Amino acid sequence: MNPNKYDIQDTEIRIIGGSQPPQRNKKGWWLLAGIVAIVLLLIIILCLPSKSEQEEIGVFEQPITIVNPHPLRAWLQSLDTIQQIGTVIKDTVVNDIPMRIYVPLNTTPRLEVGYKCIDDTLHNILLFQAADVRADNKKIVGAFVLRGKPLSWGLSKKGYCSIIGDQVTIGVADNSPLFEQATEVGGYFFRQYPLVSNGVLVENELKSQSTRRGLCELEGRVVVVETFSSESLHDFAQALVDIGTANAIYLVGSSAIGWHRTIDGRGVASGQWEPRIYKNVSFIVWSL
Amino acid sequence: MKTHLVISTSNELLRVAAMHIVYISSDGNYSNLLMSGGEIRMVTFQLGQIEEMINKQLPEMRSTFIRIGRSLIININQVYHINISRQQLVLHDRDNTYTLSASKEALKALKEHIEKNI
Repeated sequence: MNPNKYDIQDTEIRIIGGSQPPQRNKKGWWLLAGIVAIVLLLIIILCLPSKSEQEEIGVFEQPITIVNPHPLRAWLQSLDTIQQIGTVIKDTVVNDIPMRIYVPLNTTPRLEVGYKCIDDTLHNILLFQAADVRADNKKIVGAFVLRGKPLSWGLSKKGYCSIIGDQVTIGVADNSPLFEQATEVGGYFFRQYPLVSNGVLVENELKSQSTRRGLCELEGRVVVVETFSSESLHDFAQALVDIGTANAIYLVGSSAIGWHRTIDGRGVASGQWEPRIYKNVSFIVWSL
Repeated sequence: MKTHLVISTSNELLRVAAMHIVYISSDGNYSNLLMSGGEIRMVTFQLGQIEEMINKQLPEMRSTFIRIGRSLIININQVYHINISRQQLVLHDRDNTYTLSASKEALKALKEHIEKNI
């Protein structure tokens, strides 16, 4: 599709299928021409600063960042006014991928190891499996810190999530000081496949298709996104980028255990809850 | 004469009678089709792509649909009321009215277009 052919301004209309160019209000055209002239003049003035002016720019000036709007922003912002504790969900379709976004409200997550935590449906708000379990020795894959205690070391996956106090950090790094910090202050840390780093897709070698889940930083919130269809990690990560995710790591996909409680108190389980055979299974849990 | 718009993705196909489309609005990377009767269908195409589909698939219904600004395509047959000063465009099907907003310049151009084609 030629994008220029379908360009249009908010001040214009176009008869679809008609051969004439967009109909423009003449008064609006002159106004637009005036604005363009002023903008050009400003650009010329700004592009030719004197040397002394250049030297006066402060080192602490913050650059202006233009953030492109995305369809979920208004919905996420509307959640700011909700006082209750619970999980709000939104089903959407991105790049033909049907997906569900889980937003835990007014609660901070922690990590748990073992199945005991999943039965606490009185207090749990949202939970999903966090780190993977190794097929050979059934230990946790990658570095893992539980309430300040390191349970596992290693760097098979470069994505990480740390939970220190109320601060949840999702990122990508070979070494993160947050691992040590988590051990010092009784925090949590785990590793998973990286999906998105600073708004950019991270490629992974895993090419198979499955139900995918991701722990995402979206509009300043930590949310979980889950696909309803089997997807490659690449397509899933691209969809996360397209909804405006800043950082994201993978959570255990396929038939892994999940549970959420809606704002009105209804508990909904997903995944395969039985048999419970891995003692090192881990969960990220938001609870009361 | 082709009278239906077909919107197809790898997973889904939507076939709608063009005359039943009241308007199509942009929602970021998606578009919402509002059908007469009030049903809303979200599709995973941008408004420009929908415009291109209408162009290609409905050659004999040209001039039925009008693109208004960046975020709206309307069915000209459903236009009921234009109020430029309030920036209000009201569409009407058999049972419902739908109040939309557009720029004054676009509404003035729409009004002139309808007056010209009375």
